[in-house]
Amino acid sequence: MAEDGHEPASEAGHGENSERLGSQSDLLTEMKALRRQARAARHAYWFPLALFGLLICASIPFYGQRVPRGVGVVSLSLAGPTLPFLGGYPGFHERGYLAYYWIAALLGGLLATQLWYRWHARRVGLATPALVYLITTAVLTVAAIAVPPLLQLLHEPQILWPNDLVARGMFPFIIIAVGLLALAWAERSRALAVIAVIYAGAALLAGLYNVSNIMPGWTAAVNVLLPAAVLLLAAAGAFATQRWHRSAA
Amino acid sequence: MSAAQPVPPEPETPEPETPEPVPPELADGRHPTNGLDETVHQRHRLGILTITAEAQRAEFGYLREALGLTAGNLSRHLTVLEGAGMVQVEKGYSGRRPRTWVRITGQGREALATELHALTELARRHTAGHGASRG
Repeated sequence: MAEDGHEPASEAGHGENSERLGSQSDLLTEMKALRRQARAARHAYWFPLALFGLLICASIPFYGQRVPRGVGVVSLSLAGPTLPFLGGYPGFHERGYLAYYWIAALLGGLLATQLWYRWHARRVGLATPALVYLITTAVLTVAAIAVPPLLQLLHEPQILWPNDLVARGMFPFIIIAVGLLALAWAERSRALAVIAVIYAGAALLAGLYNVSNIMPGWTAAVNVLLPAAVLLLAAAGAFATQRWHRSAA
Repeated sequence: MSAAQPVPPEPETPEPETPEPVPPELADGRHPTNGLDETVHQRHRLGILTITAEAQRAEFGYLREALGLTAGNLSRHLTVLEGAGMVQVEKGYSGRRPRTWVRITGQGREALATELHALTELARRHTAGHGASRG
């Protein structure tokens, strides 16, 4: 410090600049807090998790339909029900009901989710751009209906046939998984992305393997219950977290 | 000899909304303060852009509460941002209740990203400066 008690001009200037830079830093911190608060208020993904978890549980009776005697051999031809990606696998004619169930469940679930997000936006005052999720799931559902007939137009359709993925009629679980990943992007939620990946793993396992082989004492319904349980547990956790955030705010 | 004339009081100047001018020693071409836009840098307007960028659209009431503003002040800031093409204001009804929604535009997102980048850079320099003075 100078003898007259004043700091030299350069030092004083440095102090002012430092203060100004410090206030910019505070402003940045404040903006980060506002963004975090808005994101927490906007998150509402517990509902679609719970809804699709319940819809999967409700599909169990359709998977339990018995195959008539003599039709129990899986046919590799593409003749038969035209909705194999939604559970109506060729050779299992009764599974046609399962396919109709999934069309209604996927599209009805989308509609309910859209209504939920609109209601939530009105309630908290922040809207989530859920359109990406709706479009992704709707396009995949329509593709699941339209692709098999189109494949039959090809010379050798078996080349493109995802046999293992559709054999157990659990391809709709994969559609839900992709939809949830799109929702995680729309919600900007890492937690939902992790949930969607874990659920996708469970859905692939259920679609490709008889889970009852590793869970003795369980019936074949465990293939349906496993992905449903992942969604329902995640929904409960998300609900509790989102409620806690709101009460803390 | 003339009597000392009373000095007329200076007119009150309104509190500036924009930040103080950048000191000349910092205003070189490379300093992050050059990335600060006066329209966006104002604390409440930056808050409006930050919140609206986080959602598809934000309701007037949410913005008012989150930023701790009166309705009049918020309207004034929204008018400035709307005039600069950074937000769109949509008026509608929810049942019989009138609602005003605010949506950020592409230009607003760009301005916000530039501003936040400049602030981050300034904060980084601030931290580095403190580190150097301690060392």
